[in-house]
Amino acid sequence: MDDIRSLKANQLDALREVANIGAGHAATALSQMTGGTIMISVPTINIARLEDVPPQITAPEEPVAAVLMNMLGDLTGRTLLVFPRPTALRLAGLMLNRRAETEIDLGEIEQSAIKEAGNILSGAYLNALSDFMGLMLLPSPPSLAVDMSSAVLTTAYLQFGTDRDYVFCVETEFFMLELNEKLRGFFLLLPDVASLHAILRAIRVA
Amino acid sequence: MIEQIRVNVAAYAVARGDAVISTLGLGSCVAIAVHDLATAVGGLAHVLLPSESMSRDRDNRAKFPGTAVPLLLEEMRKLGATGPFTAKLAGGASMFGALLPSGGVNMGERNVEAVRRALGVAGIGIAAQDTGGDYGRSVFLHVRDGRLVVRSLNRGEHVL
Repeated sequence: MDDIRSLKANQLDALREVANIGAGHAATALSQMTGGTIMISVPTINIARLEDVPPQITAPEEPVAAVLMNMLGDLTGRTLLVFPRPTALRLAGLMLNRRAETEIDLGEIEQSAIKEAGNILSGAYLNALSDFMGLMLLPSPPSLAVDMSSAVLTTAYLQFGTDRDYVFCVETEFFMLELNEKLRGFFLLLPDVASLHAILRAIRVA
Repeated sequence: MIEQIRVNVAAYAVARGDAVISTLGLGSCVAIAVHDLATAVGGLAHVLLPSESMSRDRDNRAKFPGTAVPLLLEEMRKLGATGPFTAKLAGGASMFGALLPSGGVNMGERNVEAVRRALGVAGIGIAAQDTGGDYGRSVFLHVRDGRLVVRSLNRGEHVL
Protein backbone atom coordinates (compact mmCIF):
# COMPACT_ATOMS: atom_id res chain seq x y z
CA MET A 1 0.00 0.00 0.00
CA ASP A 2 1.84 3.08 -1.12
CA ASP A 3 -1.25 5.06 -1.85
CA ILE A 4 -2.61 6.88 1.17
CA ARG A 5 -6.06 6.99 -0.40
CA SER A 6 -6.49 3.25 0.05
CA LEU A 7 -6.62 3.32 3.87
CA LYS A 8 -9.54 1.37 5.30
CA ALA A 9 -12.16 2.72 7.69
CA ASN A 10 -10.82 0.79 10.71
CA GLN A 11 -7.32 2.07 9.99
CA LEU A 12 -8.53 5.65 9.82
CA ASP A 13 -10.40 5.13 13.11
CA ALA A 14 -7.27 3.76 14.73
CA LEU A 15 -5.23 6.72 13.47
CA ARG A 16 -7.82 9.13 14.87
CA GLU A 17 -7.57 7.38 18.21
CA VAL A 18 -3.78 7.67 18.18
CA ALA A 19 -4.09 11.38 17.42
CA ASN A 20 -6.66 11.77 20.17
CA ILE A 21 -4.28 10.34 22.74
CA GLY A 22 -1.53 12.67 21.57
CA ALA A 23 -3.78 15.71 21.49
CA GLY A 24 -5.22 14.88 24.92
CA HIS A 25 -1.76 14.97 26.46
CA ALA A 26 -0.89 18.15 24.58
CA ALA A 27 -4.10 19.77 25.85
CA THR A 28 -3.24 18.81 29.43
CA ALA A 29 0.20 20.36 28.98
CA LEU A 30 -1.34 23.52 27.54
CA SER A 31 -3.84 23.71 30.37
CA GLN A 32 -1.08 23.40 32.98
CA MET A 33 1.02 25.95 31.17
CA THR A 34 -1.74 28.54 30.89
CA GLY A 35 -3.83 27.69 33.95
CA GLY A 36 -6.94 27.69 31.76
CA THR A 37 -9.45 25.23 30.40
CA ILE A 38 -8.57 23.63 27.10
CA MET A 39 -10.98 21.66 24.97
CA ILE A 40 -10.11 19.56 21.97
CA SER A 41 -12.15 18.37 19.03
CA VAL A 42 -12.32 14.83 17.74
CA PRO A 43 -9.36 14.55 15.35
CA THR A 44 -10.12 14.71 11.67
CA ILE A 45 -8.05 13.02 9.02
CA ASN A 46 -7.47 14.99 5.87
CA ILE A 47 -6.36 13.16 2.80
CA ALA A 48 -6.48 15.72 0.05
CA ARG A 49 -4.68 16.84 -3.01
CA LEU A 50 -2.07 19.44 -2.18
CA GLU A 51 -3.96 22.08 -4.10
CA ASP A 52 -7.14 21.47 -2.08
CA VAL A 53 -5.77 21.63 1.43
CA PRO A 54 -4.99 25.20 2.50
CA PRO A 55 -8.44 26.77 2.91
CA GLN A 56 -9.65 24.15 5.38
CA ILE A 57 -8.17 25.71 8.49
CA THR A 58 -8.43 29.47 8.16
CA ALA A 59 -8.83 32.09 5.46
CA PRO A 60 -5.76 32.08 3.16
CA GLU A 61 -4.44 35.48 4.23
CA GLU A 62 -5.24 35.17 7.94
CA PRO A 63 -2.12 35.90 10.00
CA VAL A 64 -1.04 32.88 12.00
CA ALA A 65 1.92 31.86 14.10
CA ALA A 66 2.96 28.35 13.11
CA VAL A 67 5.50 26.14 14.85
CA LEU A 68 6.92 23.37 12.68
CA MET A 69 9.03 20.54 14.06
CA ASN A 70 10.52 17.52 12.35
CA MET A 71 9.72 14.18 13.91
CA LEU A 72 12.63 11.77 14.00
CA GLY A 73 13.34 8.32 15.39
CA ASP A 74 11.18 5.30 14.52
CA LEU A 75 8.77 7.54 12.65
CA THR A 76 9.49 10.48 10.38
CA GLY A 77 7.26 13.35 9.50
CA ARG A 78 6.36 16.68 11.00
CA THR A 79 4.19 18.29 13.60
CA LEU A 80 2.70 21.68 12.88
CA LEU A 81 0.96 23.89 15.41
CA VAL A 82 -1.10 26.70 13.94
CA PHE A 83 -2.23 29.56 16.16
CA PRO A 84 -4.36 32.29 14.57
CA ARG A 85 -3.00 35.68 15.62
CA PRO A 86 -5.39 36.35 18.57
CA THR A 87 -4.54 32.93 20.01
CA ALA A 88 -0.82 33.47 19.46
CA LEU A 89 -0.91 36.83 21.26
CA ARG A 90 -2.83 35.47 24.25
CA LEU A 91 -0.68 32.37 24.45
CA ALA A 92 2.46 34.50 24.45
CA GLY A 93 0.90 36.69 27.14
CA LEU A 94 0.09 33.68 29.31
CA MET A 95 3.55 32.20 28.85
CA LEU A 96 5.10 35.53 29.84
CA ASN A 97 2.72 36.07 32.78
CA ARG A 98 1.22 39.22 31.37
CA ARG A 99 -2.26 40.35 32.24
CA ALA A 100 -4.89 39.75 29.57
CA GLU A 101 -5.55 43.44 28.99
CA THR A 102 -1.90 44.21 28.30
CA GLU A 103 -1.37 45.25 24.68
CA ILE A 104 1.19 43.02 23.11
CA ASP A 105 2.73 42.56 19.75
CA LEU A 106 4.55 39.55 18.35
CA GLY A 107 8.06 40.78 19.12
CA GLU A 108 11.13 38.66 19.64
CA ILE A 109 10.29 37.64 23.21
CA GLU A 110 6.70 36.77 22.34
CA GLN A 111 7.83 34.73 19.33
CA SER A 112 10.30 32.90 21.49
CA ALA A 113 7.51 32.16 24.02
CA ILE A 114 5.28 30.77 21.26
CA LYS A 115 8.10 28.61 19.98
CA GLU A 116 8.61 27.26 23.48
CA ALA A 117 4.89 26.60 23.86
CA GLY A 118 5.01 24.72 20.55
CA ASN A 119 7.96 22.74 21.78
CA ILE A 120 6.15 21.71 24.98
CA LEU A 121 2.92 20.85 23.17
CA SER A 122 4.57 18.83 20.41
CA GLY A 123 6.72 17.13 23.03
CA ALA A 124 3.63 16.10 25.04
CA TYR A 125 1.88 14.90 21.88
CA LEU A 126 4.82 12.86 20.68
CA ASN A 127 5.59 11.43 24.13
CA ALA A 128 2.05 10.13 24.43
CA LEU A 129 2.27 8.59 20.96
CA SER A 130 5.61 7.09 21.72
CA ASP A 131 4.36 5.48 24.99
CA PHE A 132 1.20 4.20 23.36
CA MET A 133 2.86 2.70 20.32
CA GLY A 134 6.12 1.62 21.88
CA LEU A 135 8.10 3.58 19.31
CA MET A 136 10.89 6.05 19.81
CA LEU A 137 9.93 9.54 18.65
CA LEU A 138 12.21 12.54 18.83
CA PRO A 139 11.18 16.09 18.03
CA SER A 140 13.64 18.44 16.31
CA PRO A 141 14.08 22.00 17.60
CA PRO A 142 11.06 24.12 16.67
CA SER A 143 10.94 26.61 13.82
CA LEU A 144 8.46 29.48 13.82
CA ALA A 145 6.81 31.39 10.99
CA VAL A 146 4.42 34.27 11.51
CA ASP A 147 2.71 34.75 8.19
CA MET A 148 -0.37 34.18 6.03
CA SER A 149 -2.01 30.88 6.80
CA SER A 150 -1.98 29.61 3.22
CA ALA A 151 1.72 30.41 2.73
CA VAL A 152 2.63 28.63 5.95
CA LEU A 153 0.57 25.51 5.26
CA THR A 154 1.50 24.95 1.62
CA THR A 155 5.16 25.41 2.54
CA ALA A 156 4.90 22.93 5.42
CA TYR A 157 3.33 20.33 3.12
CA LEU A 158 5.40 20.99 0.05
CA GLN A 159 8.87 21.85 1.22
CA PHE A 160 9.03 19.17 3.83
CA GLY A 161 6.62 16.47 2.71
CA THR A 162 7.72 13.44 0.75
CA ASP A 163 4.48 13.04 -1.15
CA ARG A 164 4.05 15.85 -3.65
CA ASP A 165 0.50 15.04 -4.66
CA TYR A 166 -1.50 14.13 -1.61
CA VAL A 167 -1.33 15.41 1.91
CA PHE A 168 -2.07 13.11 4.80
CA CYS A 169 -2.69 15.06 7.91
CA VAL A 170 -4.37 14.37 11.23
CA GLU A 171 -5.80 17.57 12.58
CA THR A 172 -7.07 18.33 16.06
CA GLU A 173 -8.61 21.66 16.83
CA PHE A 174 -8.27 23.01 20.33
CA PHE A 175 -9.99 25.83 22.14
CA MET A 176 -8.77 27.94 25.02
CA LEU A 177 -11.57 29.35 27.11
CA GLU A 178 -10.33 32.76 28.12
CA LEU A 179 -12.40 35.61 29.49
CA ASN A 180 -15.52 34.45 27.66
CA GLU A 181 -13.50 34.40 24.52
CA LYS A 182 -12.90 31.22 22.57
CA LEU A 183 -9.41 31.12 21.15
CA ARG A 184 -8.69 28.37 18.69
CA GLY A 185 -5.63 26.63 17.42
CA PHE A 186 -4.74 23.55 15.45
CA PHE A 187 -2.45 20.64 15.99
CA LEU A 188 -1.41 18.84 12.80
CA LEU A 189 0.45 15.58 12.61
CA LEU A 190 2.01 14.96 9.20
CA PRO A 191 3.58 11.52 9.10
CA ASP A 192 5.53 10.51 6.01
CA VAL A 193 3.83 7.72 4.06
CA ALA A 194 6.33 5.08 5.17
CA SER A 195 5.75 6.10 8.78
CA LEU A 196 2.02 5.84 8.37
CA HIS A 197 2.52 2.16 7.75
CA ALA A 198 4.81 1.90 10.76
CA ILE A 199 2.08 3.47 12.92
CA LEU A 200 -0.51 1.04 11.56
CA ARG A 201 1.82 -1.89 12.29
CA ALA A 202 2.52 -0.64 15.81
CA ILE A 203 -1.19 -0.49 16.61
CA ARG A 204 -1.80 -3.77 14.77
CA VAL A 205 -4.17 -2.61 12.08
CA ALA A 206 -1.70 -2.82 9.20
CA MET B 1 -16.96 47.56 -13.10
CA ILE B 2 -13.76 45.65 -12.49
CA GLU B 3 -14.05 41.89 -12.53
CA GLN B 4 -12.27 40.14 -9.64
CA ILE B 5 -10.90 36.66 -10.39
CA ARG B 6 -9.38 34.49 -7.67
CA VAL B 7 -6.81 31.84 -8.58
CA ASN B 8 -6.33 28.94 -6.18
CA VAL B 9 -3.22 26.88 -5.56
CA ALA B 10 -2.12 25.08 -8.76
CA ALA B 11 -4.74 26.90 -10.83
CA TYR B 12 -4.73 29.69 -13.42
CA ALA B 13 -6.97 32.32 -15.00
CA VAL B 14 -6.87 34.64 -17.99
CA ALA B 15 -8.85 37.80 -18.65
CA ARG B 16 -9.11 40.80 -20.92
CA GLY B 17 -9.67 44.46 -20.08
CA ASP B 18 -10.95 45.62 -16.72
CA ALA B 19 -10.19 42.66 -14.48
CA VAL B 20 -7.96 41.88 -11.53
CA ILE B 21 -6.63 38.33 -11.24
CA SER B 22 -5.31 37.51 -7.79
CA THR B 23 -3.86 34.66 -5.79
CA LEU B 24 -3.46 34.72 -2.01
CA GLY B 25 -0.88 33.46 0.43
CA LEU B 26 1.99 32.27 -1.76
CA GLY B 27 4.71 30.56 0.23
CA SER B 28 7.21 28.53 -1.74
CA CYS B 29 4.81 28.59 -4.71
CA VAL B 30 5.31 31.15 -7.49
CA ALA B 31 2.76 33.36 -9.24
CA ILE B 32 3.52 33.83 -12.94
CA ALA B 33 1.80 36.87 -14.42
CA VAL B 34 1.94 37.15 -18.22
CA HIS B 35 0.66 40.26 -19.93
CA ASP B 36 0.05 41.58 -23.43
CA LEU B 37 -0.21 45.36 -23.25
CA ALA B 38 -1.38 45.91 -26.84
CA THR B 39 -4.57 43.87 -26.40
CA ALA B 40 -4.91 44.27 -22.58
CA VAL B 41 -4.96 40.52 -22.04
CA GLY B 42 -3.37 39.01 -18.94
CA GLY B 43 -2.99 35.62 -17.33
CA LEU B 44 -1.89 34.42 -13.91
CA ALA B 45 -0.81 30.92 -12.83
CA HIS B 46 -0.05 29.73 -9.29
CA VAL B 47 2.58 27.01 -9.77
CA LEU B 48 3.34 24.55 -7.01
CA LEU B 49 6.23 22.32 -8.05
CA PRO B 50 9.35 22.94 -10.16
CA SER B 51 9.08 19.75 -12.19
CA GLU B 52 6.53 17.17 -13.31
CA SER B 53 8.99 14.46 -12.34
CA MET B 54 8.22 15.23 -8.67
CA SER B 55 4.59 14.32 -9.06
CA ARG B 56 2.45 11.36 -10.12
CA ASP B 57 -0.59 13.52 -10.65
CA ARG B 58 0.39 15.40 -13.83
CA ASP B 59 -2.95 16.19 -15.41
CA ASN B 60 -3.08 19.67 -14.00
CA ARG B 61 -0.97 21.83 -16.29
CA ALA B 62 -1.16 24.84 -14.00
CA LYS B 63 0.79 22.97 -11.30
CA PHE B 64 4.20 23.11 -13.04
CA PRO B 65 6.05 26.04 -14.67
CA GLY B 66 7.00 24.04 -17.79
CA THR B 67 3.35 23.39 -18.65
CA ALA B 68 1.75 26.45 -17.05
CA VAL B 69 3.54 28.98 -19.29
CA PRO B 70 2.36 27.41 -22.60
CA LEU B 71 -1.11 27.00 -21.06
CA LEU B 72 -1.30 30.70 -20.18
CA LEU B 73 -0.16 31.69 -23.69
CA GLU B 74 -2.71 29.39 -25.38
CA GLU B 75 -5.56 30.72 -23.27
CA MET B 76 -4.46 34.34 -23.68
CA ARG B 77 -4.30 33.94 -27.47
CA LYS B 78 -7.89 32.67 -27.39
CA LEU B 79 -8.81 36.05 -25.85
CA GLY B 80 -7.08 37.82 -28.70
CA ALA B 81 -3.59 38.34 -27.30
CA THR B 82 -0.94 38.62 -29.97
CA GLY B 83 2.17 39.49 -27.99
CA PRO B 84 4.79 40.65 -27.41
CA PHE B 85 4.29 39.23 -23.92
CA THR B 86 5.97 40.32 -20.73
CA ALA B 87 6.11 38.40 -17.45
CA LYS B 88 6.28 39.31 -13.78
CA LEU B 89 6.93 36.88 -10.93
CA ALA B 90 6.32 36.81 -7.20
CA GLY B 91 6.65 34.19 -4.47
CA GLY B 92 9.22 31.44 -4.05
CA ALA B 93 9.82 32.15 -0.38
CA SER B 94 11.71 29.88 1.97
CA MET B 95 9.93 29.54 5.31
CA PHE B 96 10.90 27.44 8.36
CA GLY B 97 14.45 27.71 7.00
CA ALA B 98 15.97 26.41 10.25
CA LEU B 99 14.48 22.97 9.59
CA LEU B 100 15.81 22.56 6.07
CA PRO B 101 18.46 19.85 5.90
CA SER B 102 21.80 21.51 5.22
CA GLY B 103 22.56 21.36 1.51
CA GLY B 104 18.96 20.29 0.91
CA VAL B 105 16.89 21.72 -1.89
CA ASN B 106 14.95 24.86 -1.35
CA MET B 107 11.57 24.45 -3.04
CA GLY B 108 10.98 28.20 -3.39
CA GLU B 109 14.30 28.80 -5.16
CA ARG B 110 13.77 25.79 -7.41
CA ASN B 111 10.31 26.99 -8.33
CA VAL B 112 11.65 30.43 -9.29
CA GLU B 113 14.44 28.89 -11.34
CA ALA B 114 12.01 26.58 -13.15
CA VAL B 115 9.70 29.51 -13.93
CA ARG B 116 12.58 31.54 -15.36
CA ARG B 117 13.56 28.58 -17.52
CA ALA B 118 10.00 28.02 -18.76
CA LEU B 119 9.66 31.71 -19.66
CA GLY B 120 13.05 31.57 -21.42
CA VAL B 121 11.89 28.61 -23.51
CA ALA B 122 8.76 30.55 -24.48
CA GLY B 123 10.90 33.61 -25.31
CA ILE B 124 9.19 35.85 -22.77
CA GLY B 125 11.21 38.48 -20.95
CA ILE B 126 10.83 39.04 -17.21
CA ALA B 127 9.90 42.65 -16.60
CA ALA B 128 9.98 42.49 -12.80
CA GLN B 129 10.09 40.02 -9.96
CA ASP B 130 9.71 39.91 -6.20
CA THR B 131 10.86 36.47 -5.13
CA GLY B 132 12.68 34.68 -2.31
CA GLY B 133 12.91 35.87 1.26
CA ASP B 134 11.17 34.13 4.14
CA TYR B 135 7.68 35.60 3.95
CA GLY B 136 4.40 34.90 2.17
CA ARG B 137 2.87 37.09 -0.53
CA SER B 138 -0.47 37.77 -2.20
CA VAL B 139 -0.51 39.14 -5.74
CA PHE B 140 -3.03 41.07 -7.84
CA LEU B 141 -2.61 41.40 -11.61
CA HIS B 142 -4.38 44.41 -13.09
CA VAL B 143 -5.15 43.13 -16.54
CA ARG B 144 -5.79 46.51 -18.20
CA ASP B 145 -2.28 47.89 -17.67
CA GLY B 146 -0.27 44.89 -16.44
CA ARG B 147 0.48 46.22 -12.96
CA LEU B 148 1.25 43.46 -10.46
CA VAL B 149 0.52 44.49 -6.89
CA VAL B 150 2.33 42.38 -4.29
CA ARG B 151 1.13 42.35 -0.68
CA SER B 152 2.72 40.79 2.39
CA LEU B 153 1.90 40.89 6.11
CA ASN B 154 4.83 42.94 7.34
CA ARG B 155 5.95 44.74 4.21
CA GLY B 156 2.67 46.18 3.02
CA GLU B 157 1.92 46.63 -0.66
CA HIS B 158 4.07 47.53 -3.62
CA VAL B 159 3.65 47.57 -7.37
CA LEU B 160 5.79 45.63 -9.82
